[in-house]
Amino acid sequence: MQVSIKWLNDYIKFNETAEELADKYTMSGVPVENVIRADEGLEKVVTGRIEKLEAHPDSDHLQICQMNVGESELVQIITGAQNVAEGQIVPVAMVGAHLPNGLHIKKGKLRGLPSNGMLCSAEELKMDLTKLTDEEKDGIYILPADTPVGVPAKDVLGLDDVVLEFELTANRADCFSVVGLVREAAVLTGNEPHYPEITVKEDDEAKAADMIKIGIDSDLCDRFAARVIKNVKVGPSPEWMQQRLEGAGIRAINNVVDVTNFVMVELGQPMHAYDYDEIAGHSLTARLAKEGENLHTLDDSSRIAKGTELVIADAEKPAGLAGVMGGLESEVTEKTTTIVLEAASFNGASIRRTSRACGLHSEASGRFERGVDVTAIPRALDRACQLMQEMGACTVTQGMVDVYPTQKEQTEIHYTAEQINARLGTQLSAAKMMEILTSLGFSVQTEGEGFVAQVPSWRGDCTCMEDLSEEISRIYGFDNIAPTLPWGAVMQGKQSPRQDFIDKIKEVLVGLGMTEELSFSFTNTDLLDKMLVPADSKLRQAVPIMNPLTDDYPLVRTSLLTSIMENAVRNFSRKNMDLRLFDVAPVFFPKALPVTEQPDEVVKLVGLMTGRRNMVGWNQTNDMIDFYDMKGLVEELLASLSISKYTVEAGEHFALHPGKTALFKKGREVIATLGELHPQAAENFGIKQKVYLFEMDVEVLMKYTAKNFHFDSLPKFPATSRDLAIVVDKDTEASKIEQVITKNGGKHFKSVTLFDVYTGEHVAEGKKSLAFNLQFQSKDKTLTDEEADTAFHNILKAVEKQFGAELRA
Amino acid sequence: MEEKIAELQAAAVAEIKAAGDMTALNDIRVKYLGKKGEFTAILRGMGNLSAEERPKVGKIVNVAKAAVEEAINAQAGELKAKELSARLASEKIDVTLPGRNVPQGHLHPLTLTMQRIKDIFVHMGFSVEEGPEIERDYFNFEALNLPKDHPARDMQDSFYITDEILMRSQTSPVQARTMQANEPNKPIRMIAPGRVYRRDEYDATHSPMFTQVEGLVIDKGISFADLKGTLELFLHQIFNENVGVRFRPSFFPFTEPSAEVDISCVMCHGEGCKVCKGTGWLEILGAGMVHPHVLEMSGYDPKVVSGFAFGLGVERIAMLSYGIDDLRLFYDNDVRFLQQF
Repeated sequence: MQVSIKWLNDYIKFNETAEELADKYTMSGVPVENVIRADEGLEKVVTGRIEKLEAHPDSDHLQICQMNVGESELVQIITGAQNVAEGQIVPVAMVGAHLPNGLHIKKGKLRGLPSNGMLCSAEELKMDLTKLTDEEKDGIYILPADTPVGVPAKDVLGLDDVVLEFELTANRADCFSVVGLVREAAVLTGNEPHYPEITVKEDDEAKAADMIKIGIDSDLCDRFAARVIKNVKVGPSPEWMQQRLEGAGIRAINNVVDVTNFVMVELGQPMHAYDYDEIAGHSLTARLAKEGENLHTLDDSSRIAKGTELVIADAEKPAGLAGVMGGLESEVTEKTTTIVLEAASFNGASIRRTSRACGLHSEASGRFERGVDVTAIPRALDRACQLMQEMGACTVTQGMVDVYPTQKEQTEIHYTAEQINARLGTQLSAAKMMEILTSLGFSVQTEGEGFVAQVPSWRGDCTCMEDLSEEISRIYGFDNIAPTLPWGAVMQGKQSPRQDFIDKIKEVLVGLGMTEELSFSFTNTDLLDKMLVPADSKLRQAVPIMNPLTDDYPLVRTSLLTSIMENAVRNFSRKNMDLRLFDVAPVFFPKALPVTEQPDEVVKLVGLMTGRRNMVGWNQTNDMIDFYDMKGLVEELLASLSISKYTVEAGEHFALHPGKTALFKKGREVIATLGELHPQAAENFGIKQKVYLFEMDVEVLMKYTAKNFHFDSLPKFPATSRDLAIVVDKDTEASKIEQVITKNGGKHFKSVTLFDVYTGEHVAEGKKSLAFNLQFQSKDKTLTDEEADTAFHNILKAVEKQFGAELRA
Repeated sequence: MEEKIAELQAAAVAEIKAAGDMTALNDIRVKYLGKKGEFTAILRGMGNLSAEERPKVGKIVNVAKAAVEEAINAQAGELKAKELSARLASEKIDVTLPGRNVPQGHLHPLTLTMQRIKDIFVHMGFSVEEGPEIERDYFNFEALNLPKDHPARDMQDSFYITDEILMRSQTSPVQARTMQANEPNKPIRMIAPGRVYRRDEYDATHSPMFTQVEGLVIDKGISFADLKGTLELFLHQIFNENVGVRFRPSFFPFTEPSAEVDISCVMCHGEGCKVCKGTGWLEILGAGMVHPHVLEMSGYDPKVVSGFAFGLGVERIAMLSYGIDDLRLFYDNDVRFLQQF
């Protein structure tokens, strides 16, 4: 909704500037988004007469003008324009002017002669070029000969209007009209409004009821009324009306269309004009479209009705989509002589559905969606007839045809001052509340201890005490309500254990040098393909979005791996080659496809490492991150989360290198999967360097995190150390040997650390040498060499037996 | 004899002073004081002296020996000091060379901002509640007084999964879920942070996914003044004590009265700039007194309790806090951006 100050001034005068009024509107809940000034930059542009014109002695195209701008002395201006002549009156930008196109006018010299201003073209003044002739558009804009000299150019150019652009909220249907905005302005400024006096002379003998039949055949229409005008002369509407419409952002078309638009903006009631002679059977009915019916609208497009659309139909066919757009056949043309003017009230939700389904949003549909004042429909019809009549463009037939099956009931709201004050936290008097409500058009009576407010017909949004509290507070001013803090029983502020756990994960990973990313929850089949997700995988069963933003991301993600890979690829493309990223977020698994209930949401943790192990530097090695960097990180993370006693084994994952995939397990349950990105997947993503990934399930991790932490007391006696170097088959998994060592270490066994892995010279083909450091320790005494040796030999025997290990010479 | 001793002492001291390093000094020690050294030779040759002279000469020799010893020690001290300073000089490094850095981890700026928001509210006694991101239309809209085909639904164009299930367009459904999980009329102080989804084109100020914090306070006697006080307190903590706060009447179907809350522009301090479009104010959150229908639909009695609710965009607060001018930076995850926080 936008409206010019001039239109508002037709009904109310005020001393506030447009900006001040806009601020008052905004601060009372009728937000003004923009104040648009046509005269922006025209402060120092005046009218001036060219008293003398000479050619510039040093130029073949410049001319010297001596300008009378209403001052005692003439002003010399050099111009390059060729369409000027002595005696003409033109717009002159004086020194200091800052034109709409950004041009700053300064004192200057052109080819040696001083120039103290500039003659302006229409474009330089930001005039509406579409309304000008080519002659007016080219060169300096020549004003009429009778234009006074030395007055502000904006006044004579009609650029003195200011437009308020509102961004109205969905509840304030009443403010979608000039009258509604004037009503608010009256309350906000305290000035008296003067609404248009609506009178209509029925000066044609014909009776409307004899000419046209009106009907309602659907409960989606509350009221349907019409008047008939005859002897219509279709032509342009008067200048003042075109100006008002232009300020409202509506193009003038002809007097009939302009009047219906004018009434819509003025009173908020959309209207439609039909060519009477094109209405089959001279009857109009509001009914649901029949399925398959052709809807041929004003924009010359045809739609096949689904049967849910409300239409206005004549005896044969739909003559328009009710409340959305009129039909083409009954459009008013220059040949039209008799017109049916229609005004109605339609169900907002239905109009909204139809307008969305057809992709047709109009000034009318917007108003119907929010709801029109059903009681004001006859006024709108009368107003339209009055305006046509005042132009001498028609005669008005007798009476109005009005179908209004169920009279709208007056809404009453009961309230007490205490209720309102309790809700607002104020101590307003009942009288103050009554004053505010009355000014807004409510009529308030006392009722026992409390009050009853009759809601004005245009405020369909007000239905309960709480609505009144809003009306009172917005006019009283939110700023005038003193802030307080809620009080009551003390409540514990806390997060859920899961939220705490996720925070802990993030904190640990950041400490380990990982950076958190956040990615969209969308994915697509292409990404799943690139990640080598098998055809039968659960990850392929992603939830589809009915109305995705683009076809690129039609699915809700089932894996964070695709997201983190996308981010890695984006970083690579920007030459960020060293990445340590992690992401904690939910993924979504439908219970069944197609989706009938909410999917399961599973919070996953993924990590990615790639590039150099160390920072780039003169004193750092250029080693690349490898599998064991990632594994070490996962081990540290699990330790920090108090998860221990898990096993690690070689495993499989579709996206990972089959020989470089490790599964961390508690019993049979996998708690972490990590490995190198499958070379095929790397190729699919166009990645040349090695990428390592891990994935975990937050709920699973949480299950295994130790609930209580107890420290281990420090040992009082020293540990005894033994090194065990053995040769085993190359395929033997180190973790299995460690398990056997641990199991056979005896009661003083403390720990085992693998400190060397060797193949090559002195080790037979197909074998490898592993060196473990073993620590033995007692809480009660220093161990003797014999005790340590015994334990060592037991371990050796066990690994010899189980792995065919040989003690390395 | 005495003269000979004095000459010997003088020669020794001269040699000591000339010694350039510890080896030379040691050689001198051997030469004069060693078992076969010069002074030893004199002592040995004392047999030729008379009994009277012997102690006298012996004393003179010992004095001379002590003097030589002292000279040696003094020279040794000096040589050591020289050696040390020479070593220190040779060990000098360029301390201006860069240090050996360790890769640092970083939390996402939205997480950092979210943590600050959560901290403020948790300290005020709010609990942090969660709800599903793929939500029922009922909780996302209907239970919030937004029936189907309500024009206010245009404010939020949503991603639908089915006609009844959508990607939540706000974290407000957690309000209704929390109320419905409670005993009727049980007091509530909660925030619901999380991801939300809207069908907005991805540009400098819009994103199809973003982060929101919804808040809800319900108790007996909660008023609009309490809403103002709580949110002012929050905004002063998250920005600063001097930031201006303004409440503007607005409309949300789930609250009545409703307010848009603005802060004075953090970039220009209210003067008017590009960020605030010249108004001096920045829209920062939406709030209002919970609509009685919303309470009723979730089993709370609006005659007994009242409450206020608010919703804020975490991206917006992060952008204003850090001076970030393009929302896409949050979701591009360029490490050069992430590593600044």
